[in-house]
Amino acid sequence: MFDRDAWLEVAHNVLAHPLRTTLTGISVALGIFILVVMQGLGYGLQNGVEGQFADDAVNSIWVEGGRTQLAYRGHQPNRPIKLTNADVAGLTTQADTVPASSRRIRLWGAEIVWENPNGENRGGGFGVRGVDPAHIDLERSVLLSGRYINGRDVTESRKVAVVGPNIVRDLFRDVDPLGAFIRINAVVFQVVGTFEDPGSRWENRVAYIPFSTAQQLYRTDGGVDQVLYSTGDMATDATVAQSDRMRSWLKDVKAVHPDDSRGVEVDNNNEEYAMYASIFDGIRLFIWGIGLMTLLAGAVGVANILAIGVKERTKEIGVRKALGATNGSIVSLVVMESTVLMLVSGSLGLMLAVGLLTTVAPLADHEYFQNPQVDHRIALFALVVLVLVGLASGLGPALRAVAIRPVEALRDE
Amino acid sequence: MIDLLGITKTYTTGAQSLQVLKGVDLAVETGELVAIMGSSGSGKSTLLNILGLLDGYDEGMYRLDGKNMAQLTERRAAELRREMLGFVFQSFNLIGFKSAAENVALPLYYQKVPRKERLRRSHELLERVGLLEWADHLPSQMSGGQKQRVAIARALAAQPRVILADEPTGALDSTTSEEVMVLLKELNGDGMTMVVVTHEAEIAAECQRTIRLRDGLVETGAHV
Repeated sequence: MFDRDAWLEVAHNVLAHPLRTTLTGISVALGIFILVVMQGLGYGLQNGVEGQFADDAVNSIWVEGGRTQLAYRGHQPNRPIKLTNADVAGLTTQADTVPASSRRIRLWGAEIVWENPNGENRGGGFGVRGVDPAHIDLERSVLLSGRYINGRDVTESRKVAVVGPNIVRDLFRDVDPLGAFIRINAVVFQVVGTFEDPGSRWENRVAYIPFSTAQQLYRTDGGVDQVLYSTGDMATDATVAQSDRMRSWLKDVKAVHPDDSRGVEVDNNNEEYAMYASIFDGIRLFIWGIGLMTLLAGAVGVANILAIGVKERTKEIGVRKALGATNGSIVSLVVMESTVLMLVSGSLGLMLAVGLLTTVAPLADHEYFQNPQVDHRIALFALVVLVLVGLASGLGPALRAVAIRPVEALRDE
Repeated sequence: MIDLLGITKTYTTGAQSLQVLKGVDLAVETGELVAIMGSSGSGKSTLLNILGLLDGYDEGMYRLDGKNMAQLTERRAAELRREMLGFVFQSFNLIGFKSAAENVALPLYYQKVPRKERLRRSHELLERVGLLEWADHLPSQMSGGQKQRVAIARALAAQPRVILADEPTGALDSTTSEEVMVLLKELNGDGMTMVVVTHEAEIAAECQRTIRLRDGLVETGAHV
């Protein structure tokens, strides 16, 4: 099968029929090309949608107090609901598991100032958040230098800060901010790290400080603005049950009417993500559908061309048999020809598709369309399918052709 | 060289069956040049298929060069075709995209003769049929007579014991027919056994003996 003569014979036969070869090649190349490009665009769409979730961890539940709308248990409506350390402890008991969690204090407009070595003050209005160490994962922040808020920072209520890129740019410019002392609303903090948040412009304008420090400075009543719970690898249904349980528990404790939708907010990112994921599954199915149909159309075309090719060659096959070819050698010749043809033209289509995606991909930048890419497994799959179709479609007519009695095939009718 | 005894062959298509050969007896001696004649439907081409090991038979006995040809596997039949038989066809049946030399070399390809050796022998054979200078031409660039000479060279390539020619002059005018017959007779003169199927009396007349087939039976000329 793998001797040089057989391959020379294959090459000779393929090259001796340029029209047939070109037609078959084009349909194969086009099938692969369309499938791979479609899949690449599908990935672009998927990346775009997932980019919308890059801000926060998708496996998380966010809890905060709101403002009541309904009167309940003797309370008037429009009452602000404030969480306390005790509420947080109680909420935590409602969770199935708590792989990670973080409380948050939010300050929307704080003045942050750095006095540079020349004695100049540089400052501006920024956000400040008191957080626990796990906040880095829940907010999906990326540490750029130094360290994040750690456990000792929180237990000792240290005055340390991890600052976002906008603060670094506005205050420090080219100076390394690590170790520098800044004033947040006139209280001195030392910068221990810098971060960025690829998913949120707002978070990049924020300084993170230890939760306990923030509570002591800004929530002297012991309030907690927000609690973030990771749900780890829990199934979406289980997280929904957990967030429902947390909501009703909190409403009960805070005397919020069960039908009040504003009193407390328990947002389950899992749920939202699952919705988008299901939309995306639909899109992906659609793309697969189109891709497979295209491939099928290509395959049918190829099978057709091959069948005609073999039919045309009935005489040639008869001659080869008369000259001593076995049926096996004829079938393997035809099948090798179709396989070589498929592989060469399939690879060509693949290269074109990869070329297009890699040159055009960097140009595509839209909120919902990012980084279209080639899935090598799909490309390989398509190639394998085409080769199998080539084998099958070459095999059928070849088997039929060798079944014809040569003297009849070779007679002029 | 060839012995047939009571050969029968029935083709069944769907519910219909047709007995094409009804008990053919014939013998061809080594070195003979024999014509097989018969009207269409007499079973000529079926007989040629069986002689050429391209089709099996139902009953009877076929001995080629003393060997029994019963119950051959497809692979063994192909092997015997390669070693024992050379074919010449009415419409030449050269492979259109191969040059004359490559066509002549094709049987040697199936005998797994190395490429260089194949081409050397095909050039020798083309020289034998007087077409050496046409070695690199495609069949479409040649006349009918030339094509048939290439086909004869191809039939000789594997050094067969018998050449089976199916209407070898059927597609040629009378002048080139004569040339081809002269060539075949020359080869016969060198000792090659030949069976020529034809419906032309002049061609049959040039052979040493004529076997007449009628309705699946040998009418005359079964033996020397």
